[in-house]
Amino acid sequence: MNCERTKEQLVDYLGSQLSASEQAELTAHLAECADCREELQAVESMWQTLGKVRVPEPSAHIRPDFYAMLATFKESVDTTPDYTLKGLWQWWLNLDIPRPILRAVYSLCLLGVGLIGGYWFSNSRTTGAADQQQIAQLATQVGNMRQMMMLALIENPSASERLRAVSYTKQLDEPTTKVVDALLSTLDNDPNVNVRLATLEALAPLAQDPAVRQGLVHSLARQESPLVQTALADVMVQLQERRSVKPLRELLKQENLDESVKSKIEQTIQTLSTGRPAAPSTPPRNDQTNLTSPAQRAAVATV
Amino acid sequence: MLRVKAGDVDRMGLLFERYHRQLFGFLYHMLGRADASEDLVQNVFYRMLKYRHTFTGEGEFRTWMYHLARNVLADYIKKNRHDRHHTDVADMAEHLGGGRRADEDLEKDQEVAQLHQALAQLSPENREILVLSRFQEMKYAQIAQVLNTTEGAVKVRVHRAMNELKTTYLRIEN
Repeated sequence: MNCERTKEQLVDYLGSQLSASEQAELTAHLAECADCREELQAVESMWQTLGKVRVPEPSAHIRPDFYAMLATFKESVDTTPDYTLKGLWQWWLNLDIPRPILRAVYSLCLLGVGLIGGYWFSNSRTTGAADQQQIAQLATQVGNMRQMMMLALIENPSASERLRAVSYTKQLDEPTTKVVDALLSTLDNDPNVNVRLATLEALAPLAQDPAVRQGLVHSLARQESPLVQTALADVMVQLQERRSVKPLRELLKQENLDESVKSKIEQTIQTLSTGRPAAPSTPPRNDQTNLTSPAQRAAVATV
Repeated sequence: MLRVKAGDVDRMGLLFERYHRQLFGFLYHMLGRADASEDLVQNVFYRMLKYRHTFTGEGEFRTWMYHLARNVLADYIKKNRHDRHHTDVADMAEHLGGGRRADEDLEKDQEVAQLHQALAQLSPENREILVLSRFQEMKYAQIAQVLNTTEGAVKVRVHRAMNELKTTYLRIEN
């Protein structure tokens, strides 16, 4: 350890700021260096003298002044509550609320949340209804568009486009008479067999409509393709349409009729006139027995 | 102090009893006027109450106190720069020099008065660091916290301040 560093550390030594090892090093050096000891004495005397510098006592009223200030401060704190988040939390922690009341408040809060949630939910339901109304409106618009497309496409010279038009009618909820007319005329007049078959397929589910039934029956006489004739005969059986018997008979009279179609039509006529005794319009009823006159019914009742 | 922070403002009385002399001593050395120092002691304690939420409890209470005291002092000096402060320390130095005989009953030692005078003539920075290390008996680490600097820097400054004090003292003595 050199003298320069020792002299730098003398003040630290006097102020007991040195670590134990530093202090040991310093005293070791001082023991063998008279020069540094002298320096230490000079600094120490100044250090000690400095320590004797007296600070006057604060005057007597410093204490009452402080307590007066503290009191007014407390008042101001009490009157102006702390509105910061931290202050409110502190206030909340300091509140002494009995447990049952706390529980009641919590449950009330939960109830409130439930009520608000329910109210909000029912509100959103009504807006849902409005949405649905809009959706329905859009759906009808789309339906109208399809109808227009279908009517336009069905005039198309391309057979595949016409097929597409026929398939569109399956997607329509309630085809209008316009659409039905267009389909029936396609069934009667379309040059392509496939289109006619597809049209028949599209018309079959609509057969509850009497106009459609009538159109189908009329169409029997106009068909020349054996495929369509057979398919129409099948539809007639499905619908139990007795009115078709007459045009079917006329069809049999045609000379160039296909053999298989001939037998199919004969079978159909037989089924329609005899095979199924009851048409769907007059279902058999269990309570309708042979007793027809009121007198006979009364006789049974008296037995 | 943490209890004061939590809302127990009355605890401040305890801290006042324990620290107000130290604080007064620091301010007195820095200002050289007892009356103004007393006012500033009140001021510092008021700020402790007002800004009690800024006390984190990480550092020592004393370092926080001196932190506030230095701010109060800086505000005071800024406010009084035009009329009073320049004369304060000079006044005190003169008073100490001239009033030596009056002090003789209390302080026999002439050296002490002269050294006090030398201390009063130091630059505020050097005086501050000597006051904190010699009179407040703070460790360098604590002083570094108060002054927002490093321990090494404090050490260097104490050394420099002691040298300045020595030369000033020798000038007064002769």
